[in-house]
Amino acid sequence: MAAASPSRPEILSLFRSLLRTSRQFSDYNIREYSKRRTIDAFRLNKHATDPSAAFADGKSQLEVAKRQALVYSLYAPKVKSIMELNH
Amino acid sequence: MASSLRAAIISHFRVPASQTLALNGSKLWTVRSMSSHGDDHLDKNQVIDRVLEVVKCHPKIDPSKVTPEVHFQKDLGLDSLDTVEIVMALEEEFKLEIPDKEADKIDSCGLAIEYIYNHPMSS
Repeated sequence: MAAASPSRPEILSLFRSLLRTSRQFSDYNIREYSKRRTIDAFRLNKHATDPSAAFADGKSQLEVAKRQALVYSLYAPKVKSIMELNH
Repeated sequence: MASSLRAAIISHFRVPASQTLALNGSKLWTVRSMSSHGDDHLDKNQVIDRVLEVVKCHPKIDPSKVTPEVHFQKDLGLDSLDTVEIVMALEEEFKLEIPDKEADKIDSCGLAIEYIYNHPMSS
């Protein structure tokens, strides 16, 4: 059941998928948090010797994020957060 | 408000047919040309400026080193994670969806500018 150690392209692909999924959140706070969290987590484990545990964790978090993005979109607030106005 | 929204949507769907009516001088419905991508492409200089802005705004980058030909990993000292971040930021700026295969090839400002300039959906 244990996956072989993930390759570099796989890791980058997971990173990209997590960032893409984070973009889909309708809530500004959660969106920014997920982006920050994925970036921080990947940087933290950058020099890890065995990335498979972190990789598996990342994959399960991706599934969670996808589901949550869908659920949040059902109840998206009509008013935008103030941080999203006036770039 | 919902009814005017409906009317706007319906008039949108009717645009292809009403194009011919407009030629006959009939002004039954206003023809809003759906030319969000029909205009000529983004100006190359605009693309360059916007790409450089996005790259400069990235926290890990020294803005003074950013030129249109700079290489992310060789010149700016970024790693592959940072490169992915920058490509994502460019996707947001230009409202594109860059597939993974293409995104992996973009590792310098020059390539990014080329790709975005040649992409038909950039805006």
